[in-house]
Amino acid sequence: MEAPIAGHCGPRGSAMAAPGQRAAAGWGRRLCTAAAPRPWRLFGALCLLRLPRITQPLRREEEEMAALMGQIELEKSRYSDHEIRKLEEEEQLKRRKESMYDDDEGPGKTVIMAQDLEDKWEQKLLQFKAASRITDADKNNIRTSLNRKLDSNLMLLVKQKIGNQELWLLPQAEWQAGETLRSTAERAMAIFLGDHIQAKFLGNAPYGLYKYKFPRSIRTEDNMGAKVFFFKAFLQSNDLSQAELKEDYLWVTKDELGGYLKSEYLKKVNQFLLDL
Amino acid sequence: MRVQPKKKKKVDIKREQAQKDRMKKKIRKLEKAAPEMIPIEDFITPSKYSESNRVRSLPPLSFEETERRVLLMKKWSLYKQKQDEAEKKAIQTLVAAQQEALKELRLESEELYQAAIKRDEGLFPFERDGPNYTPPLPGYDPPEGKCIDITKVYTQ
Repeated sequence: MEAPIAGHCGPRGSAMAAPGQRAAAGWGRRLCTAAAPRPWRLFGALCLLRLPRITQPLRREEEEMAALMGQIELEKSRYSDHEIRKLEEEEQLKRRKESMYDDDEGPGKTVIMAQDLEDKWEQKLLQFKAASRITDADKNNIRTSLNRKLDSNLMLLVKQKIGNQELWLLPQAEWQAGETLRSTAERAMAIFLGDHIQAKFLGNAPYGLYKYKFPRSIRTEDNMGAKVFFFKAFLQSNDLSQAELKEDYLWVTKDELGGYLKSEYLKKVNQFLLDL
Repeated sequence: MRVQPKKKKKVDIKREQAQKDRMKKKIRKLEKAAPEMIPIEDFITPSKYSESNRVRSLPPLSFEETERRVLLMKKWSLYKQKQDEAEKKAIQTLVAAQQEALKELRLESEELYQAAIKRDEGLFPFERDGPNYTPPLPGYDPPEGKCIDITKVYTQ
């Protein structure tokens, strides 16, 4: 590692004259002295996902297939005890009607028939009302609530000030010396959502990268641009009532990202987001 | 008078020893036999379901119905193939994006890269409650009751 220092520092001096030689600058920077300036600023960004709470509706082919499988299962099956009991009782009823009540049991005897049981169960089911799959937040399109779109992934977008522009971004924080990029992302989450949020980070490695150069007015030799490393995390805590959200925030699905993010940024972000 | 007790003792001893040997042989035979397999209850159809009165009586399938089923199966296999290909492609883009990010990170600083490729110990075992059909009902009081487990436990 020590030998090529001279060789790399040499061409570095000449390479800096040519714009866009980012790779050479990177090499030179890494292998030269510790005081060499880094032209890229590092940011750690966090893609916080709220996982789906309900199942997605079946597509048309899936529904047809499910119906077919049910039919085939019914055809291949045998009668169960309950069904046999039902058939026997139907036959008994028929015989009683035809033979005009000449049995010795008498009509006063109360016998619970299988059909009665089925009706009772049906009634009990109707009494139970489940929560609806489409919530109020869905109907009113309240994008700041977590109860929207319960069948897809929601991710957090915040409005941040970059340079002199206010942009919608995934929450990011600048990397400081002495911490790993994952802890930068955790710090970003703490800044925007407070300390009481539990999230499960998926590994130490970044999932994606967005690299951009600063506009020429503020570009210096030391500060060519920024690299934003994205990390993914799953939201564990269910309610965010304790969160102190200072800036504007939104919870959006992957399809709605296009309305908020810029095209280049969106392209990079879409690469590491799975389409459900 | 002196001879008889001797006979009894000998005969008894011999008989007892022969009995003991027979018992030991039986025990050895039983031990040598292979242990009985634990039956898997799911694979054994109880005999009461093979009776003839249990067979369902449904009208036979018409020609159109069988045709429809065959065509549906073919459409389904195509649908699943497309779904599988899309999933594999998505995984490939995911991996490519991560590789690119790691490459750029390595260019930036070696120690950050080393910290990034370390194994995350807290990630596994990963548990999650799967999605249900309806969201949880707030303020729901489940009915009281006790669940008694009646599974048969076999010992070898």
